[in-house]
Amino acid sequence: MRVGFIGLGVMGRPMALHLQKAGHELFVWARRPVSVAGLPATVCATPAELGRCCAVVFTVITSSADVEGVALGADGLIDGLAPGSVLVDCSTIAPDAARRIAGRLREKGIHMLDAPVSGGAQGAIDATLAIMAGGEAAVLERVRPLLECLGKRIVHIGPNGAGQVAKACNQMIMVAAIQAVAEAMHLAAAAGVEAGKVKAALAGGSAASRVLEVMGERMVSGDYAAGIEARLHHKDFGLVLEAARQSGVPVPLTAVVGQQLNSLMAQGWGRDDTASLRRVLQLKS
Amino acid sequence: MKIAFLGLGIMGRPMALNLIKGGHAVTVWARRAESMAPLLAAGAVAAASQVEAARGQDLVISMVADAPDVAEVMRAVAQGAQPGLVAVDMSTIAPAAARKIGEELAAAGVDFVDAPVSGGEVGAIAGMLAIMAGGSEAAFARAKPAFECLGKNVVHVGASGAGQVTKAANQIVTGMGVLAVAEAFAFASKNGVEVGKVREALLGGFAYSKILENHGQRMLDRNFKPGFKSWMHEKDLNIVMQTAHELGLCLPGSAATAQMFNAMVGSGLGEEDSIAVLKLLESLSGQA
Repeated sequence: MRVGFIGLGVMGRPMALHLQKAGHELFVWARRPVSVAGLPATVCATPAELGRCCAVVFTVITSSADVEGVALGADGLIDGLAPGSVLVDCSTIAPDAARRIAGRLREKGIHMLDAPVSGGAQGAIDATLAIMAGGEAAVLERVRPLLECLGKRIVHIGPNGAGQVAKACNQMIMVAAIQAVAEAMHLAAAAGVEAGKVKAALAGGSAASRVLEVMGERMVSGDYAAGIEARLHHKDFGLVLEAARQSGVPVPLTAVVGQQLNSLMAQGWGRDDTASLRRVLQLKS
Repeated sequence: MKIAFLGLGIMGRPMALNLIKGGHAVTVWARRAESMAPLLAAGAVAAASQVEAARGQDLVISMVADAPDVAEVMRAVAQGAQPGLVAVDMSTIAPAAARKIGEELAAAGVDFVDAPVSGGEVGAIAGMLAIMAGGSEAAFARAKPAFECLGKNVVHVGASGAGQVTKAANQIVTGMGVLAVAEAFAFASKNGVEVGKVREALLGGFAYSKILENHGQRMLDRNFKPGFKSWMHEKDLNIVMQTAHELGLCLPGSAATAQMFNAMVGSGLGEEDSIAVLKLLESLSGQA
């Protein structure tokens, strides 16, 4: 199948390559040509042109505004995609932005799935991403064989926007867990106990988690090179807190963790791993 | 001075009346005729549109709900403006939004002052508002005679946006202040101590504040009528938290407070005064 792909960063590039390796013909577009260098793909001049070539297009982009621009802006996908084609947006954006974009595309008979992913760069490389989809079930079934090239767990959450809501929930749990691990490692070290031993012991008990394993290890070893760039979690917390506000739902822990992320950003650690939340605790006034 | 006043709500109406009382020639415009009626009865002139209202004025003042409303009003003002017009927005909006509106007006040759207020409806009626202004020295000087009809404590804080930064800081202090008084009262009450006596004792010490005095009394009276609606305080705290997010600023106390106001709006207390946070605390502690 001819598959379009926009957003060839840390996540998008390995995802696109999995689709290509599975035998699909890859079409790409990028704002900066260097992003598509060396890819076994046809490079298109605009998102619209890419849309004209493909029945299914994936996007993995950072912000709501960027997804909106690529999908609906000048020379956007909406100008190229044929009725019945599908946009699969794997970006993490605001649920209401996802609904808005889906609505505009629907007017032209174009389907959209919001299909954000969890699992990080390693999950993208290993094709073990968790994929949480919002949109029509029948549309998901049509593209499921493609999604199966990218991840093991593909769940239909509900209508458009529902995938982004699930992703927001994912980020709340994950980053709060990183903060909890950071505080535990910080307390252990401050009490004169070897943090690595604490982490090893906890890994066998009720506090065991993927975050403890992966981020805990980074904290213990002091290796804060990203994994997942903290600035992306910071961006996502903006979305989560806005969604909570719109729903009138109190999220006290998320709000406080958000402040620790603000502090992290102020230190200039946005491009380091979110495990840097431990470093925030080590700051001295 | 010839002044157009746009936005005749709970705050705007008494403010416009005080300008008339101060001897200024006031022009008003409102979507609904009944909003204008009390002003016209006091001697104001009605304009046919916002653009018309701005024509031939020395000063235009807006007092509306949110940044998009201010932007819309000021676009109309720019169309009707004569050279040398000073536009003043007294609404509470994000500092970044105020700066942007200021730049747009500057491009149209209009000087802009962001001048949000504190003091609520009572302060607006009494002409006792605190006014915190951002903009050029010259524009502030032009607007000052109008400010003096509206408030007693008028401070030119700095350049464009500085007024809104000050107002956001004000909402941090008042938001946490109301919550602090409510928590202290809930604490005393759950300990079986008479809350009115606690307030009385605290008023003499370092915990004294206007909020303990005024808001505290209303909490004792269980008078939750606004005043200042909690949904508006929630909106203002959201401005604080979004600005903190953009700047990389850690505000844990404001974050916790913002969530309490968020919960108030979600649980149907949005139209009540912000002191209704006491009710939320009571229900969280099984005191309701």
